[in-house]
Order: sequence, then C-alpha cells, then structure tokens
Amino acid sequence: MTLARRTLLLSTSLLAAPSLVRAQAAPIKLGTLTPLTGAGGPYGPVMAACVRGVVDQVNAAGGVLGKQIELISEDDQTNPEAGVRAARKLIDVDRVSAIMGTWASSVTTAVAPLAWENKVFLATVSGADSITLLPHNGWLVRTQPNTTLQGKKFGEFAVAQGAKRIFVMMPQTPFTQSQFAAMKAAAEAGGGAAELLIYDATKPSLRTEVDQAMRFRPDVIVAGGYTPDTSVLLRDLYRASFSGKVLAFAYAVNQAMLGAIPKEVVEGVMTLAPSPAAGSGGYAKVQALAGTQAPDPYTCQIYDHVNLVLMAMAKGGATTGQAVHDNIRKVSQGSGESVDTALDGLRAIAAGREVNYEGASGPCDFNEIGDVLDVKFRYEQVKAGALTLIRIA
Amino acid sequence: MISYLVFLAVIGGIYALLAQSVTLAWGMAGLVNLGLAGFFGIGAYASAMLVTWGGVPVPVGLVAAVIAGAVAGLVVTGATLRLRDDYLAIVTLGFAEAVRIIASNEIWLTGGTDGISGIPGGFPRDWGLGFHAAWMGTISVLVFCVWFGLRRLSASPWGRALRAIREDQTVAAVAGKPVARMKAEAFAIAAGIAALAGALYGHYGSYIAPELFAPLVTIYVFLAVTTGGNGRPSGAVLGGYLLIAFLEATRFAAGAIPGVTALQAAALREASVGVALILLLHWRPQGILPERNQKAPLV
Amino acid sequence: MPDSFLFGAILQALINGVISGTILAVPAIGFSAIFAVLNYPNFAIGALASVGAYGGLVANTVFGLPLEVSLLAAFATAAVAGIVVEWVAVRPLNQAGALMMAIASLAAAIVLENVIRFFWGNGLRGYDLPMLRDVQFGAIRVGPQQVKNFGISIAAMVALWAFLALTPLGRAMRAVADNADLARLRGVDPVRIAAVAVALGAGLAGMGGMLIGLDTSIDPLTGPRLVLSIFAAAVLGGLGSIPGAVVGALVIGMAEELTVLLIAPSYRSVVGFVVILAVLTVRPAGLFGARA
Repeated sequence: MTLARRTLLLSTSLLAAPSLVRAQAAPIKLGTLTPLTGAGGPYGPVMAACVRGVVDQVNAAGGVLGKQIELISEDDQTNPEAGVRAARKLIDVDRVSAIMGTWASSVTTAVAPLAWENKVFLATVSGADSITLLPHNGWLVRTQPNTTLQGKKFGEFAVAQGAKRIFVMMPQTPFTQSQFAAMKAAAEAGGGAAELLIYDATKPSLRTEVDQAMRFRPDVIVAGGYTPDTSVLLRDLYRASFSGKVLAFAYAVNQAMLGAIPKEVVEGVMTLAPSPAAGSGGYAKVQALAGTQAPDPYTCQIYDHVNLVLMAMAKGGATTGQAVHDNIRKVSQGSGESVDTALDGLRAIAAGREVNYEGASGPCDFNEIGDVLDVKFRYEQVKAGALTLIRIA
Repeated sequence: MISYLVFLAVIGGIYALLAQSVTLAWGMAGLVNLGLAGFFGIGAYASAMLVTWGGVPVPVGLVAAVIAGAVAGLVVTGATLRLRDDYLAIVTLGFAEAVRIIASNEIWLTGGTDGISGIPGGFPRDWGLGFHAAWMGTISVLVFCVWFGLRRLSASPWGRALRAIREDQTVAAVAGKPVARMKAEAFAIAAGIAALAGALYGHYGSYIAPELFAPLVTIYVFLAVTTGGNGRPSGAVLGGYLLIAFLEATRFAAGAIPGVTALQAAALREASVGVALILLLHWRPQGILPERNQKAPLV
Repeated sequence: MPDSFLFGAILQALINGVISGTILAVPAIGFSAIFAVLNYPNFAIGALASVGAYGGLVANTVFGLPLEVSLLAAFATAAVAGIVVEWVAVRPLNQAGALMMAIASLAAAIVLENVIRFFWGNGLRGYDLPMLRDVQFGAIRVGPQQVKNFGISIAAMVALWAFLALTPLGRAMRAVADNADLARLRGVDPVRIAAVAVALGAGLAGMGGMLIGLDTSIDPLTGPRLVLSIFAAAVLGGLGSIPGAVVGALVIGMAEELTVLLIAPSYRSVVGFVVILAVLTVRPAGLFGARA
C-alpha cells in the first residue's frame, strides 16, 4: 500500500464512514492499571474515568486506523502482587497494546518487566527515579518529572518566596531522599537551610511532628505527602498557628481536598505541578473532560498517556505495542504541528502531516530513557478556597 | 491465555505454600500467625539480597531464606509463646507491620521503598513461556514436597503430640509433652515455609518492595486456608489454588457488570471475596477438606 | 537542646499522647467489650469505625444535624452494622472456635469497607465543622476541638461505666463476661446479652471513628488505618478488660508521641508493637487481664 493510498483510507475511515468500519475491524485494546482500592484509591478512579472520556471521544470520531478502541480498566489495589496479576490479565487475556497510568512506584517496577517482555507499552505517573533506569529498552515512558528536578524546583520556589529555613515533611517514599537532597541543595545555594522529617502517613494526628517542625523555626514548610496525610498535616499546621508559607504537591492539595477540609486550613497553600507552557490547550481539555477547574496532575498525565498512545498507533499504521514503542517520540516531539488532543492529532496524521503533542501535564517530550524533557511547572495558590494560578515557569 | 494460566499456577503455588505454613501453625499447633506477610517478606529479602547483591546461586538464597524465616519465627515465639492464642494473633500482626516499616525505612540495609529490582530468576528469562513453565514445575514440586513433608509430620508422633497440645495444652503438659519447645518448633518450621514462598516470589517476579508485604497477603492466605480446611495440608493446597482462581474470576465477573464505574466494580470485586468466605463458612465451617480425625489421641 | 526546652517538648508530646490516647480508647473499649462477652477478637472493628464515621457524616452534612447528635448517629449506624455482622457472619460459627469467628469478622470487614467505597468513593470527606486554632498555655498548646473530643470520650466512658455498674442489663453483661456458665444458671439470656455487647462495642467503635474524623477527614480507610493501634491498646491493657483498654490506649498514645521526639516519627507504629511485646513478656495477660 502506498502512503498516499493509506492516508486516503485513513481519512475516509476517520471522517467519512466510521460506523461502516466499526462493524468490521477487531478493536484496539488498551488497558489502564490504576489504584482503585488501597492507599492510591483517591487518585485511580478519576484517572480511569479520564481515559474513558478520551476513548469515547475518539471512538465517536471514528476510532484509530478505522478501528474502535476497547478500554479495559483494572485495579492494582496499590499492591505490587495484585498489580502484577492484573497486568498479566491485561497482557495475556485482553492482549492490550499499552498499559497506562500505573501510580505506585512499586507497582510500576513490578509490572515493567512484564510489559517489555511481552512488547506491551507502559506509560506511568510513578515518581521513583529508578523506574526509567530499568533496562526497558524504550518500552516505558513516564510523564511525572524526575523527582530531583521537582525537588530542585520546590527548593528554588521556596527561596524565591524569601525562605531561609525550609522544613520538609514527607512520608517514606522512593523519592523522599532524592527530592529532599535537591531541595536542600537549592535552599543552601540561596543561603538557607533545610531539614527533613519523615512521618508515618497512617496516623490521624501529626501534632508532635508539627511541634518538631516549629522548633526548627521554618519560614517555609514543604508538605510532601498525598491527599489523606497532607490533610492531617495541614490541619495540624493551622492549629499550631504556623505563620510561614506552606508548599505542597498539587496532587495532594487537589480539588478533592479543597472540598473536604475547611477553607481556612488550605488558604494560602502554594502548590506545584508539572505543566505545559502557558497558553497550551491540553490543560483546558482535561478541565472540560474531568469537569473541574483544577484537575489532578495524575489525571492530566494519564490524559497525555492515552492521547500519545493513540497517535503513535496512527503514526505507525499499526495498533500493536511495537507501533507505540517505535512511534511515540515521532508524535510527542519534533517540529510538527502542535496538537493537544488525539482528535486533532489523528486528523493531522491522517492528512499526512507531522504532529508534536503538547499535553496537559507538559510538552511530553521524552529523552532516550523515557523521562520528560523541558517540563514547566505550574505554581498555584489557594485563594478563597480555589486554586489560582500564580505563574507557569 | 496459556501464559496467563501458567502464571496463575505459579502464583497459586506461592499461595499454596503460604497456606501450608498457616496449616502447620494454626491447624496443627493452634498458633495463629497473623504476621505471615512479615515472614514472607523476610524470606523474600534474605534471598533477594544474597543472590542479587551477594551473587550467590538461587538455591543457596532459598535455603538462606528458610533459615532466616525460621530464626525470625523462633525470635517471635520466644517472646510470645506464653501468650494466649488471641494475644499471639495480635502480636504477630504487629510483627509483620514492624518488618514492613523497617524494610521501608532502613534504606542502607534493604534499599528502602525502592525495593530490589532485577532479582535473578534462576532460569533464563528469555525462555519466554518456557521460563514460566520451568517455574511452574519448580514451585509445583516444592508445593508437593512441603505437602508430603507436612503429611508425614502430621502422622508422626510429633504431629500427634502437637495436636494434643492444640486440643488442651495443660493436659498435654501433664502427659509429659514439652509444650513450649514443640510449639516453637512448629512455628519456626511454618515461618520457614512462608519465607521460602517469599523468596520464590522474589526470584520469579524479579522485584520485591515493602508494599508487597502489606496485611492484604495475610488476609488472602487465611481466606485460602479457611476455604480449603485448616486442619489438613491437602486443604491448604487446594485453598491456595482456589483463592487465586477465585480472585481472578472476580476480575472477569466485575468487568461484566453493566452500569457501574471502574471504582464501583473494584469495590464489588473486593467485597465478593468477603461474601464468598462468609458463605463458605456457613456452608462448610470446616472447609472443603475437613480434618479427618477431629480429636487427637493423647498418647 | 537545653534541658528546659526538651522538658517542654516532652510535656507537650505527653499531652498530645493523652488526648490522642483518650480518643483511641473509645474504639479500643468497644473491641474489648465484644471480646469480654463473646470471647473472640472482632477484626471488623476498624471497618465499623469507618461505618460510624460515614453514618455521622450523613447525619451531619445531609441532614444538617449538630455534631453531638451526629455522634449518636455514628454510634447507632455502627451498632446496627455490628449486629448485622454478628448475626450474619460470625454467630453461625460459634461452635467452630474463637479464631474462626475472628476470620469471619475479617471477611465482614472487607465487605463493609467496600460497601462504603461503592457508595462514597475513595475521596476525602469532611464534617461541617469550624476549624479552631490551638490555645497557648505558656509553652504548652492545646486544641479546643481536641479538648472537646477528649471530653466527649470521657463522657462516653462514664456513660458506659454507669451502664455496666448501675443498670440490670449492664450487670448481667458483666456477669456473662466474668463467667458465662454461671450467668446462664442465674437466668441471664446469653443471646440478648451478646447482642447488647456487640451493639455497644460496635457503636463505640463507630463513635471513635467519627471522633477521629472530626479531627482529620474521613475516607474508607479511616478505620482500617486505626486497627493496629486499637489492637495494641486492647492487648496491652488485657483483652476483655475495659479499664485495661483505657490505660492501654493512653500508654500507646503517649508512647507513639514520644517516639516522634526520641526515635523517629516513621517508627510510630513499631513502638506500639515493642511496648506490647515488653509488657506481655512480663505480664502475659496484659496489664489488667485476668485470664492468661
């Protein structure tokens, strides 16, 4: 088949006669593997729903390469053993081409070898630096920025806020140490000091931990946990009348938290999330899709996963994991037409144009080991109970 | 599909080993070890650290895991054997949590929450399906060996004395049985079996992390043992495989329910595990394969 | 660190521990009360705490009831759920031994947790409650809401004590706990007493879940996150002993807070375990346990 003819066929199937083709071709199978139960439970359901929304839109527009997409959403139970079983089912039974959205670093590390051994593409939001260092040979990309970079940005932002003494409070995670080291370096470069306290994220009160923090006399406290434990920490900081600034990850201080705890507790808290350049439309697309002004950073990332996977398939002219593996960087970066949704991207690819995806979580340009490049950060502050943008840089 | 079934046979075998550990401690000796996940973790870490970082062969790692588990079992029993059953259950639950927290926080020793990846698999991974089949064979043989060993132990004078202790330890003590020593032995062997299961899981899956040893594993194994029958090694083996079959079947069933979100389907799936066990306990409180001789002869 | 500074820090940690221990005591008493009468550890206690917290949430945010009334709703919801668990899952197994009953309660806990998840999702929920800043007394600070929760916990304990000591039903319950056979001979209906004990125990667990939720936020794992501390408190005090559960909860509460100062905050849960191990080595039946 010549390229021109394929393009013609594609455009026909995409635009003209979707229902006709739908009846004939075997569907494309994609899987999400997000935590629906267990400690990651606050995040996974929204992520799965976002992918469902994208898939429905693309299917309604005729699918990819004339095929409809069938989405299978499994639960990793925030546990690597259960996660591996779910991944096996997605790979061996459903025969998915890609798995998207693994959240806990332990689940991602456990699932990654299954993915590359079976030529299934894996897109993850996990933070541990070790993940992209696995011998995955290009079968994995991660949209969560490298944790050292996040730590550095956090530290620099704190210094820019005039902080001299930064106290970092985090649960034990695979990125706690590296992130703190980067924050500390940034703080010390700005003439300040930083200290770390690792807390137990299952406790209903962190009063004594907060007392420890206050004794350091910090002017900035970094709350580095997830939503449930950060809500405990913010309350105890409020009760202790901490008058300095509080910085947190946007995935912790998200819309769900704003709805669940008193306004005054989160007022003034500043958040940081990976972001595309200002003016990029991807973020607005997720706002519409998720029906919220402040979509969770993980939801933005999985939105990017599904869009990239679908466009890479179209670009490669095949719906296999191999096609995604070979073509993802051809649609994620380069000098092509800038698109922020698979709907536009698929149309452009069908018309034979090059595309460069600019996502909701960042420009989605990947280096050779699958880490994102040139990511910007979105700095927001809670004002009158809503997240308001300070700047994107 | 075949690779999926082979994989499930391997995981079922791991659970069958864990279930047999519980049968020995609970079914035969009356000791409830809710710290099972902790021993599973100790074995996984012992072997993974020795083989991945120390470069010893996998079989040496497995033996070391059994020894590490048994020693940990002796340490726990040393402190707790004077306790009543229900106290022991809760203390061991705390033990497992302590193991998990130490594995998470002592990064210099265990690698912390990053876990240990790239654990050697014993067989070449590029065998593909052959790799999984080789592991299915290995684990099936080990499940059989442990099953055979437990049956022999159960029928031996040691096993009979153990059941006598389970039924009434005061009477058994009066009859001259070394109650504390025998309980410690049973608990240590059981801990060793759980550790072996952990080591095997690490080598097969190539990755372990502290989150693997959350209480979820212990809960699943107790469901398996209760299902199969807690007094018989055969019941434990059956329960282990049935558990995995059931957990996976619920995945397909939950996917077929119309009109629920992914989250609701996941909730229904987990709830069905609890409901199934409650129903089964009504239907057969002794499990599918009940213990043959209910009361052990004392002498 | 100067001595007076360290002294102040320890005093503050102890006060924090007394407050968190008192709140922990409420579900721990519930757990111990069920054990005292029915002789099995009810592993659904954490899930029942979550059920109570959500029951109170509905009363507070949907029906707009004040918090004190919502606490009673939390008690009632969890009590009903506890009775259902007892009758459907546990009671049919009372010939199969305490540990079988415990396993059945564990199965019921999984069901309860996921029923909550099915209807409310995993997201955080909060009560309609103003946030108050702590009040400073010299170097020590205390939160008004904590003090209030502390008072409510004490009131619940006094009410329980009055019920057990002063009412015929309460006296019958104690008689069953002391010696079930003897109580039966005296004409106490064991089924009715069991139901009362379960309702009381589960209700207290539910109230405890809501009290902790008032201080934080709630999600389906609110109760399950607490179970280790509840168990540690009850075992430390001696299973089945109500004063023991109170003392155990206070000791665990204070030990956990001191860990933050003296060892490392990430080891809070481990210290509870070490404390129970140390106490049980000396007293195998716990501080107040009669039956070893």
